[in-house]
Amino acid sequence: MLKRLLEYVGFEPGRFQARWISGSEGAKFTTTIKDMTEKIKSLGPNKKMRDDIV
Amino acid sequence: MEARVVNKGQLPELLDKLAKDYDLIAPVQEETVVLFRKISGAKDVFLEYTNSDISPKGCFLPQNEKTFNYTYTGDSIEIKKPEGAQKTVLFGARPCDIKAITTLDPVFEGEKFGDEYYSGKRENTVIIGLSCTKVLSTCFCYAFEGGPCDGTGSDLLFTEIGDKYYVEVYTDKGKALADAYSQIFSKGGEQLAKDKEELAKKLAGEFVRKVDLTGVKELLDNNFELPYWNGDDQKKCLGCGTCTYVCPTCHCFDIFDYPTGDFTGARLRCWDSCMYPEYTLMAGGHNPRPTRKERVRNRFMHKLKYHLDRYNMVGCVGCGRCVRKCPVNIDITKIINDLKEVAQNA
Amino acid sequence: MDVIQQLREQAKKLLEEKKVDLVIGFGQGTELARTTPVFIDSPEGVSALTWGPFCANNLAKYLTDYKNAEGNVAVVVKGCDARSVIRLLDDNQISRDKVVVIGVPCPGQLEWQKVAAEVKPGASLKETADNGESFSVKTDAGDYSFNKKDYMLHRCLVCENPNPVIADITIGKELPVKTYEERFAEVSELEQKSTEDKSAYWDKQFSRCLRCYACRNVCSVCTCQICVFDQMLPMWVSKRTNLSENTMFHITRAFHVAGRCVDCGECDRVCPMDIPLRKLNQKIHKDLGDLFDSPTPGSKPGIPSALGEFSPGDPEEFM
Repeated sequence: MLKRLLEYVGFEPGRFQARWISGSEGAKFTTTIKDMTEKIKSLGPNKKMRDDIV
Repeated sequence: MEARVVNKGQLPELLDKLAKDYDLIAPVQEETVVLFRKISGAKDVFLEYTNSDISPKGCFLPQNEKTFNYTYTGDSIEIKKPEGAQKTVLFGARPCDIKAITTLDPVFEGEKFGDEYYSGKRENTVIIGLSCTKVLSTCFCYAFEGGPCDGTGSDLLFTEIGDKYYVEVYTDKGKALADAYSQIFSKGGEQLAKDKEELAKKLAGEFVRKVDLTGVKELLDNNFELPYWNGDDQKKCLGCGTCTYVCPTCHCFDIFDYPTGDFTGARLRCWDSCMYPEYTLMAGGHNPRPTRKERVRNRFMHKLKYHLDRYNMVGCVGCGRCVRKCPVNIDITKIINDLKEVAQNA
Repeated sequence: MDVIQQLREQAKKLLEEKKVDLVIGFGQGTELARTTPVFIDSPEGVSALTWGPFCANNLAKYLTDYKNAEGNVAVVVKGCDARSVIRLLDDNQISRDKVVVIGVPCPGQLEWQKVAAEVKPGASLKETADNGESFSVKTDAGDYSFNKKDYMLHRCLVCENPNPVIADITIGKELPVKTYEERFAEVSELEQKSTEDKSAYWDKQFSRCLRCYACRNVCSVCTCQICVFDQMLPMWVSKRTNLSENTMFHITRAFHVAGRCVDCGECDRVCPMDIPLRKLNQKIHKDLGDLFDSPTPGSKPGIPSALGEFSPGDPEEFM
């Protein structure tokens, strides 16, 4: 639900993902993080909701 | 008092010139809302409004103001203040809002302590007011010694008369600006003074809210614990900050530090509202205004008494925004009239 | 018999028979086209009660104020407000035996500013009537007619159910329930836009936000005693009103009430900056329907909250 809401407000699909990984699913954890890292890198820096304090 | 005339047709040219030479802040329309923003030229200005949704007090007391950046260098703290105020022109503010700015002056430019952020902006801003041509059902500036064509606090006051603006020059600052753009500000206009008086008289007859302050201040001076404050207003008040944020005379603020990591950060001053329960919450948990009753009472005491006591100036200018925007129709004019009755029956 | 008359009689009876100690209803406001919440605690005071197309407020909000009060409370509710009552009861925010619900089927509510712009300033209201496609408003300065399509609150144009689904006393006749082909048309339209357009749209709306919290405070299901946005330690949001914090506030609040928001539309109505908040909450309602087959919360008593209960058939996209 949150994922859909964030995309509705203008976050690029893929920036936010939710996964259920239990403590014993180490391999799944690794692949998920690797995939997500690649995805984020391909999306580039996030411009949405950036803080503006200088 | 000196006067000038500006042809309506020349206003866009004037605004474009001002936008180039100054930071020009004027009314704009964003969807259905009218507010004051810095504009780049005449094309952005919106003048078909009676009064804006947000007052121009943000010119002098912005909702978010950074007071300084800080860096901790290991043995000392470096403070870096932001740039000083730029020369600015505030165009198109209504007389009630300009009067409200004058009520903020004693708060921030006191005898003992001055607020450099406020003063800097105040000194460097020329206020060009715009007289009203219509009165809303929620307006009641007359009750607080104001009026739809009142120039108090303006450097220049524009009043629309036919296809011209009759311009009154109230201060040296205003005169300097009028002289600097003398090709647009033509001399003369004294004959329009009568037209302006007629307009003011006509508008004075259009107020529908009858507000009578007789006896109200004395009642509040002598009775802090009035049973009136236990009534419906405190029951229906939602405790949101709408009235305080749209009000042109409200000036409460919160100061907090915003860390940005690695021992750096900024100190910020932002608007706050006395209607929020945590506004008077103290370390240790004590809250002298624990329920809505105390907070609602405080708001009206401030507007009708405290500000007058402290600065000898009205705390309300009768702009009517709180009346328009309150979600539950809490109405200061009703409260004033109710208090007057309470005073009479006492 | 006239709804207003019946309302006053029923309220008087409740107070006289001491079935309740307080009746929360609508009273004439300080503008012709406005009402204001009134809190009546004596039988003589019921003459302050009124009804008409200017009763936009959701009075169910005030029920939580009387949760621990001695005695019972009666509240006047419309179709949308009744959903709030059900939601509050289901959340145990107030016990059923403390509340007497006076339900009034609602033909729609008018936007007061639009009406005020047409009516002679200073006029007093004499009476109003529902004429199907329009409302007639009689004043001492003339009679006016306002067609519903142009003058009603946006939310009333897609009213889910004008009849309160919970009521101890019902006043007025039941109204037909309309169905709409595309209940979430506006949401769908926004969903089709590109990410940049969506982002630009909401950035434009949220940049106007004052963080007055009117939307939060008027919300009948925002019942947290200490709201996350009021906390100083940790400071989830500061008092700054930049785009980042404003967006954070709105997304977080929408999500905090997700599954409990009853789509009463009050948040949208009260916003002083005209931010179309309902479009945000409606997205969540649409998703609740798509993902959990859930009807609008509060539309029937006892519906389990989609996000508050787990059933094995729930979608599991995150696995």
